[in-house]
Amino acid sequence: MASVVALSLATSAFAATATAVTVFAAASLKESLDDAVKQFEAVSGHKVVVSYAASSALARQIENGAPADIFFSADTEWMDYLIGKKLMRAASRVDLLSNRLVLIAPVASNVSLRIAPKFALRAAVGNRRLAIADPKFVPAGKYAKSALESLGVWHDIENNIAPAENVRAAMSFVARGEAPLGIVYATDALAEKRVRVVDTFPMTSHSLIIYPLALTVRESGSAAQQFIDYLKAPTTRMLWARYGFQVR
Amino acid sequence: MLTPDETAAVLLSLKVAFWSVMISLPLGYAAAWMLARWHFPGKILVDAFIHLPLVLPPVVIGFMLLATFGLNGAVGGWLYDWFGITFAFRWTGAALASAIMGFPLMVRAIRLSLTNIDPRLEIAARTLGASPLRAFFTITLPLTLPGIIAGATLAFARSLGEFGATITFVSNIPGETQTLPLAIYNLTQMPGSDAAAWKLSLVAVLLSVLALALSEWLVTRSNTASASSRSRA
Repeated sequence: MASVVALSLATSAFAATATAVTVFAAASLKESLDDAVKQFEAVSGHKVVVSYAASSALARQIENGAPADIFFSADTEWMDYLIGKKLMRAASRVDLLSNRLVLIAPVASNVSLRIAPKFALRAAVGNRRLAIADPKFVPAGKYAKSALESLGVWHDIENNIAPAENVRAAMSFVARGEAPLGIVYATDALAEKRVRVVDTFPMTSHSLIIYPLALTVRESGSAAQQFIDYLKAPTTRMLWARYGFQVR
Repeated sequence: MLTPDETAAVLLSLKVAFWSVMISLPLGYAAAWMLARWHFPGKILVDAFIHLPLVLPPVVIGFMLLATFGLNGAVGGWLYDWFGITFAFRWTGAALASAIMGFPLMVRAIRLSLTNIDPRLEIAARTLGASPLRAFFTITLPLTLPGIIAGATLAFARSLGEFGATITFVSNIPGETQTLPLAIYNLTQMPGSDAAAWKLSLVAVLLSVLALALSEWLVTRSNTASASSRSRA
């Protein structure tokens, strides 16, 4: 009896010494990264904990001392911002994934639009609102605004948008039918059964959507580099492709 | 001093807080009355339900509001079809979110003042021939005035600080749903805007202090008014 207690105490103490890898990741990575984490944990025995939010919110948290080991952003601007503040290990940076921008509608809606210069977006939205992530600081919103600007329709729609906290919040407005249309990543639309893709934005309408990840300067002695290596390994390519990402 | 966007956020916050208190006062008083005066099976469940916004995460409340009062929600769809009232992406949704978040605070304050009334005063009024309604308006209501003021102030201040339910339910539209806390949140997300975030936070503190000072003054006034009328009698 005493030996059983001693053994269980010993194994729990052993498990407690392996610290978890803390990842701050863009909201749009939710399903794919959760899957990758499960596989990595099974293969390596290390624990990974992920916090999902808008890349802007995560970058600001890291800037204010949040204890992340890895930052996985939805655009290069926020990664460059943290590197500029000397908060990331630039040498560990991997520009891993790419994504596309899509126009979505509730699955029950039969709206039909072709995305082209000056397309009838405002008419389709009417006096309701286009749901996008906040274009002031969330990557998905910034891409959406620059795409609409390059297509010459931003000016007409800018007073009819619903700026959401992150891209998933924007998508849920469309999924619930609160907004007739929204702009999210192609990967988000794949993950949500209650929305359908109306059309895909041409890659020329916005800058290349790049998801970089890197180690923070705070990271030390954890399995974080091992996790990054796992994420960029050729064997993980199929996982990313399954969720709709392009691996660079 | 303040940019047009910042002024819009302040004025919108005041408008949303004012209306959220206005619409929840009569309901809050009724709920407080029910909890203070009535006894019925399941009363403890009603009490717990009213206090849910105090203990649930605001985002959960926002999510429930979306499901119930959104365009496709059970109540929201009906309200739109029959009255043309929408809450989605409108300041009315922000006011509704604030009203719900502040409701338990208001009910608690009013209930407290109701239970502190000496029942013999109301009984005396009735034996002197007053109808129940007259007794309520001339005896009960004035005596619960400090509770009403305290409850309204708490709900008003809670509304000034409401964030989670608002951003989840009606998003962050400048001039329409971007109240002070949402504007401050925006500024914290943008590099180089820390000074502006501090400035707006100071405005938020100032508004709350003013609201509290006003309520203290009103409570003191109502106490001296009732004290002087008692000494005259």
